[in-house]
Amino acid sequence: MNVGILSIIVLALALCGFVVGRNRALQSVKGDARKLHSLPVYHGQTVALFVTVPAVLMMAVWLVAQPMVIEARIVGQLGDAVAADPVASKLAMEDVSRIADGLDALQAATGLSDDEIGDMRSDLSDIRGRLAEVGVALGSEVRPEIFSMAKSLRGMQQTGATMMTALVLMLAVGGLALGILRIEGDFRARNVAESFFMWLLVAAAGVAILTTIGIVLSLFSETMRFFSVHPASDFFFGLTWNPQFRGGSDLGIIPLLWGTLYITFVAMIVAAPIGIFAAIYTAEYASPRVRSVVKPLIEVIAGIPTVVFGLFALVTVGPFLRDYFAVPFGLGTSGSSVLTAGLVIGILNIPFVSSLTDDIINAVPQSLRDGSYGLGATKSETIKKVILPAALPGIVGAVLLATSRAIGETMIVTMGAGAAAKLDLNPFEAMTTITVKIVSQLTGDLAFDSPETLVAFALGSSLFVITLGLNVFALWIVRKYREQYE
Amino acid sequence: MYDAPANKQSVDQSNQKITARNVQVFYGDKQALRDVSVDIEDRTVTAFIGPSGCGKSTFLRCLNRMNDTVAIARVEGDIRLDGEDIYHPMVDPVQLRAKVGMVFQKPNPFPKSIYDNVAYGPKIHGLTRSKSELDGIVEESLKRAALWNEVKDRLQESGTGLSGGQQQRLCIARAVATGPEVLLMDEPCSALDPIATAQVEELIDDLRQNYSVVIVTHSMQQAARVSQKTAFFHLGNLVEYGETGTIFTNPQDPRTESYITGRIG
Ligand SMILES: Nc1ncnc2c1ncn2[C@@H]1O[C@H](COP(=O)(O)OP(=O)(O)OP(=O)(O)O)[C@@H](O)[C@H]1O
Ligand SMILES: [Mg+2]
Repeated sequence: MNVGILSIIVLALALCGFVVGRNRALQSVKGDARKLHSLPVYHGQTVALFVTVPAVLMMAVWLVAQPMVIEARIVGQLGDAVAADPVASKLAMEDVSRIADGLDALQAATGLSDDEIGDMRSDLSDIRGRLAEVGVALGSEVRPEIFSMAKSLRGMQQTGATMMTALVLMLAVGGLALGILRIEGDFRARNVAESFFMWLLVAAAGVAILTTIGIVLSLFSETMRFFSVHPASDFFFGLTWNPQFRGGSDLGIIPLLWGTLYITFVAMIVAAPIGIFAAIYTAEYASPRVRSVVKPLIEVIAGIPTVVFGLFALVTVGPFLRDYFAVPFGLGTSGSSVLTAGLVIGILNIPFVSSLTDDIINAVPQSLRDGSYGLGATKSETIKKVILPAALPGIVGAVLLATSRAIGETMIVTMGAGAAAKLDLNPFEAMTTITVKIVSQLTGDLAFDSPETLVAFALGSSLFVITLGLNVFALWIVRKYREQYE
Repeated sequence: MYDAPANKQSVDQSNQKITARNVQVFYGDKQALRDVSVDIEDRTVTAFIGPSGCGKSTFLRCLNRMNDTVAIARVEGDIRLDGEDIYHPMVDPVQLRAKVGMVFQKPNPFPKSIYDNVAYGPKIHGLTRSKSELDGIVEESLKRAALWNEVKDRLQESGTGLSGGQQQRLCIARAVATGPEVLLMDEPCSALDPIATAQVEELIDDLRQNYSVVIVTHSMQQAARVSQKTAFFHLGNLVEYGETGTIFTNPQDPRTESYITGRIG
């Protein structure tokens, strides 16, 4: 029985449990709901939870654990030599599961019975040809021991599925019975529902935290692999970035870091003042009518895909800067430049800064404005001396958030600043950033465990550490200047 | 009956500080004040009393044009400060508010240090030439607001960290520091204990030597203690205005009488 049908059965049982539980709760007090500790709905809910929670948990755990257990067993059967070598066992496992999948497809296409498949032998029947017919292409002829592994894999999968179905159904039915039996007038079903929802929320928070930890761990473990094949000092202090196909590459992060920070700096020079001033205008000066038009118009920018911004950088801003500034002043001839990408990323971030800042300024209580006006301050004095200081932590947070976004921007840099890793002060030169290089290193044709590919993870980790540092810094500023209202 | 001799002498010249004629205030379509006409005298404490929602704060906010900051508020009528129409297009409300200071119903200290809260007005109006002069104004104002002893060792701490009553006295100090000619106080003592209340009342009496003070209060005793003139508002109308002694001992209007004897409000 597949997972979908099983889930539907569990849900149906839960629904039954809900209805039965509610009615039974009412019956237990002879229809007088006031005598119940909890409303009938809560009793129904509790029974439904008793049915679903253990069953679904069991199903989830089983679905995760089963492939692991089976894989361990198969690898064990392949012999110690294979099991000891992670690459060989991984390859063998891939073969086995491909063939097993192929057999499933074959069975679905031709209607062979399980027994007939069990009787198939790789040295007699033309397995490779038959699997190719159903669309599963195998690289080489099938070895007999791999083929029998595949058959035993299918067997284990089938037994596993049967066992899981039986267990889940038992749990669901058991939960149903237990839930219904526990119902009586004094049963605190409301509290059960309450704590269930608390745990649900805890689980949601847990998922978010665990994924983050998982991402960080995988990033760092690959980074460690990179540092085992490439000296860390070359990476962190190397002044050249020059990956080679045949090894012996220079993989220094400094030029990329420089490009990233330079472009981000230009972007924030554009985005922060314009965004903040626009927000001050919409929040403090604009009449409600103007505000209702201007604010959405600014925010439209945020809805434009970054690729489109990249095109804008490529065909408009880049040539404009080149023809009217770089060439006349003899500063370069490149259409792609730090300034192009920085300007366009800055424009992209204006609505981000302005809409966050606008919200923050609006959150400053009106009583503070009144207090300042009441002392004879003008609007701009009030904004400068009372509103902005009060809103400062939030504004710093908004700007740093936009900075993180600028640092992580890839598309506009690729199209606007080029892909040349350079250490240069001239903003009209083409440069590139960490994110662009992560993409280009991973999309190359190189082997996955070569330093040229693995460096992408080291770059990713560095980016992560930088952004994390930025966030910690933002928090620190916010704490330092936190001033609560009232 | 509380008049000090110094006050009596100055009465002979034109003593009207603020004259309001036929003031109407609308919030959107809703009329909050009807035909209010009052003369507020210089060097006098004037009390506004009346049940909640009758328009006391609204009228107070007309006197320094704070209603300008409420988008839906509309003020009609004629209000003059020293004979000049304060709603005249040439009048700068910002300068007006420097002359007519205000203490609000809810304490609203700025999220700045205690010192900076008090120094705010003198700084923006350039009232001082040196740091020591500013220090002097801050100390003087805090003393007059009866807060100095409690905060003199923590002037650099945030004003929002004070207790509610301390915050209110800080707001009074802040308003006094600007050196207004008229001080509008909207229930300045509603968050204060009896001791602080007595100190603030002393301050009000003290301010009367130089300024005109308008105070909104829900406490009849306070109105009787500190004010020389009392105005009674009811449902957006000014019902009765006159000498405090007369209002409390011999009210002309039955509504005033019911209110001060506790039958309405
Ligand atoms: N900003 C506003 N928008 C709309 N209506 C308002 C506003 N401020 C006051 N009002 C209305 O104007 C009327 C008078 O309010 P006001 O604040 O002047 O009363 P008050 O006499 O000061 O009362 P209290 O003693 O409770 O402070 C009330 O009916 C109130 O609902
Ligand atoms: Mg009021």
